[in-house]
Amino acid sequence: MPFVLAGILPAVEKLLKDKIGWYASAVAFLSLLLVAQAAPEIIHGETIQGSIEWLPSVGIDFSFYIDGLSVMFGFIVSGIGVIIMSYSNGYMSKKEDLPRYYQQLLFFMGSMLGMVFSANTIQLFIFWELTSVTSFMLIGYWRNRPMSVYGATKSMLITATGGLFMLAGFLVLHAITGTFDIPTIMHSESIKEMLHGHDLFLAALILIFIGAASKSAQGPFYIWLPNAMEAPTPVSAFLHSATMVKAGIYLVARIHPIFSGTDAWFIMVSGIGIFTMLLAGFLAFRQTDIKGILAYSTISQLAYLMTMYGYTTHHHPGIGVAAATFHLLNHATFKACLFLVAGIVAHETATRDITKMGGLRKEMPITFIVATIGALSMAGIPPLNGFLSKEMFYESSVEMGHLLGGPWSILIPALAVLGGVFTFAYSIKLIDGIFLGKRPSKGLPDHIHDPSMIMLAPAIFLAGLIILFGLVPSIPVHYFVGPTVSGILLEEAHLHVKLWHGITPSLIMTIVTFALGILTYTQYGKIADWQDRFNAKFPWISVNYYYDATVENAKNVTAKFSNRMQPGPVKTYVVALLLLVIAMFAIPAALLATSFIPQNLNFDVPLYESLIFLFMVVSALGAALLPRYIPAIISLSGLGYLVALLFIYLQAPDLALTQVLVETLSTIIFLLAIVKIPQKFREHIPASTLVRDLLISVTIASIVFIMLINATQGIVPPFESLSHYFIEKSLPLAGGHNIVNVIIVDFRGYDTLGEISVLCLAAFGVYNLIHSRGDDQ
Amino acid sequence: MNSTLLSLTIAILFGIGTFLILRRDIVRVIIGLGIMSHAVNLLIVSTGVFEGKVPIITDDGGHGAAEATGTVFTDTLSQGVLAPVLEAGHHVDFVDPLVQALVLTAIVISLATTAFILILAYRIYEEYGTTDIRELRRLWG
Repeated sequence: MPFVLAGILPAVEKLLKDKIGWYASAVAFLSLLLVAQAAPEIIHGETIQGSIEWLPSVGIDFSFYIDGLSVMFGFIVSGIGVIIMSYSNGYMSKKEDLPRYYQQLLFFMGSMLGMVFSANTIQLFIFWELTSVTSFMLIGYWRNRPMSVYGATKSMLITATGGLFMLAGFLVLHAITGTFDIPTIMHSESIKEMLHGHDLFLAALILIFIGAASKSAQGPFYIWLPNAMEAPTPVSAFLHSATMVKAGIYLVARIHPIFSGTDAWFIMVSGIGIFTMLLAGFLAFRQTDIKGILAYSTISQLAYLMTMYGYTTHHHPGIGVAAATFHLLNHATFKACLFLVAGIVAHETATRDITKMGGLRKEMPITFIVATIGALSMAGIPPLNGFLSKEMFYESSVEMGHLLGGPWSILIPALAVLGGVFTFAYSIKLIDGIFLGKRPSKGLPDHIHDPSMIMLAPAIFLAGLIILFGLVPSIPVHYFVGPTVSGILLEEAHLHVKLWHGITPSLIMTIVTFALGILTYTQYGKIADWQDRFNAKFPWISVNYYYDATVENAKNVTAKFSNRMQPGPVKTYVVALLLLVIAMFAIPAALLATSFIPQNLNFDVPLYESLIFLFMVVSALGAALLPRYIPAIISLSGLGYLVALLFIYLQAPDLALTQVLVETLSTIIFLLAIVKIPQKFREHIPASTLVRDLLISVTIASIVFIMLINATQGIVPPFESLSHYFIEKSLPLAGGHNIVNVIIVDFRGYDTLGEISVLCLAAFGVYNLIHSRGDDQ
Repeated sequence: MNSTLLSLTIAILFGIGTFLILRRDIVRVIIGLGIMSHAVNLLIVSTGVFEGKVPIITDDGGHGAAEATGTVFTDTLSQGVLAPVLEAGHHVDFVDPLVQALVLTAIVISLATTAFILILAYRIYEEYGTTDIRELRRLWG
């Protein structure tokens, strides 16, 4: 649906001019209502399915599956969509190419919605790649900034390649289960059991997970997300924090019922998750761009989600899934909120460099409050929603550690706390760096103030949600998290989330996190410096380094390749083409050498015919060798008339007539053109070229000769000519006596129509070529 | 069965055409294309020559066409035969009209292309003052 409305967007733009953004928000709101319409049934634990036959030959339908998971994603996508598009009305300058911007945003939203409601893997893949493409266009929205283009290319290369891996994974899955339909696999215990025991299980899981990880910027694929921050800030908020990067999480959640409960699942999903969480949280310290900090924090937060979805082993779902789902929702609210704030700050101060900011709390009080709520929620301070889901994260970590036993029962919670510590530190840095402290004396505009309500209202709304979810967690849990969890676990989920539930291990962990977080924050600058030094010293310990090297090499290699393949002079191509023809003939000839020797030659020709042959060869030689153009052309036309004569002997009177007419006409054109071209140029053929060209020509001539001789000698099994049909039906069907004419105008009339079109086109071409001269002078 | 000399002639024309399109002078290339298209036309027509007369039906005095050519035409889908079948021993009266029709089209089209390339060469000469392909290449950079 958004696709259609996005399609007519340019037309609407004519009517609304600058107000186009509101139209886009309205479309998003409409989508939100459509999603909401499905919600009541989902809350009661039902699912909706529908399908249209699409590619029945390969068993792919265009089908939809709606359960708690997809509805929650639908809500996030369209809800944040409404907020972002309203916000853009204030953020984007009226001078920008707004129709393109909103159209792409809507396209993205449509693909995203299509993806989350897809019931089969192939359809999911198509929408998945569509989100990559729209993301590419939105990141590269400012086309003439090199960094935008770099970031867009990088994200495209990584996410689209990941998508291909995912497709391969889906195909493997299909090979194992024999279906592309996700619900079928999900609900069938027997298929799942077979899958878990299958040899290709690991391959399918790894391939699909590579897709998910590349989309959600996990593991080594994280590098694209920081560069994607070159997009306009609303885009970053929408795509690169709240929705698109969550597609990978969605995929993990979607395949959770299919693949979870195995060691491989836990090791890969949680392992990559924990690793990325720590790495990205740590790397965030070094960033000075506020969007850069947010980018790394997004990576790290997404890694939380991954980790939690991974906390399921040996058919023990645990609390991880619920925690992840709740955190997913919370992350969408506080991260989108923070991005909007970042956009506001960048918009007002004209810089995104956090080192140049400070002390803005007095000038932008409302923005300051909103930002504080968002950042504190991210840091996990009660009573905000981030606190609740972080508690659940710790709880699930403890539980997971306990389940694994041994050193793990300490290590996993400890790593989780470490991740929390990093998050705490950079969250505080955001508030402190931008709003607290002293205002730097230079580098900022003189008058900074809160922006208009258009930009502020969406952020305030999100901040409101953060507090609401924190104080009354039963609302989101009942309406979103519960149905989603039951959608993932395929069983009724009973969840109770409260602000205070006594002194538990997780509460202690939270307190430890705060303490360590404050401690870390005091060392913030030192850690960042150390990272800078380390990076300068060992540039090769960075995935970016390899990415750049690979892309650079690929560029060079392809450039060399194309230079080699297309060096320029047409002649080289002609030579290559002829050599190819020779090779095509030479290989079968070598295999069938003996049978190509002509068996019975027929020299039984009347004298007049052989005279024609002789004259033809002579005139062709004349056309080739006569030094001046005009004699050569006369010679060529002589050849043409001889061909016409020969056609008569070949029993083709129609051809002869046509040939005479055409030859006359073409001779006239030739002469007309040639009298204007004085013969200034005489080619001096070097000996080596002469030898090469003669060799090629002689070879081609021999090939033609041998082919012709053999054409009637049984190399090719004899087959019946279609001509007999024409011979037979010419009179009864078309009522014509001249069979050739009948073929041309009746049986193959379209052919002739095409021929006439070619003539027309050539005439137009000639006319325009001659006409173009008049324009120049 | 083709006459060997005809085949030889066509082959020589092909060779000369090939040699010419390898030249640097555009006009020579065009002449080469002309020679080559003659050769191709002849090649196609000559493969369609079997013993027979001009494909013009002069006698239709009440005879069925199938009777006249001796061809049994069976193209029923149920038998899986889509092409007409010439039964063994039957004699065909006409040379192949289909190749002639094809070549007729080809001749006209080759006129169109020749005219177009010629005017193109003429315009190139006007703009750049040369008909040397290598020189043109250098002028374009």
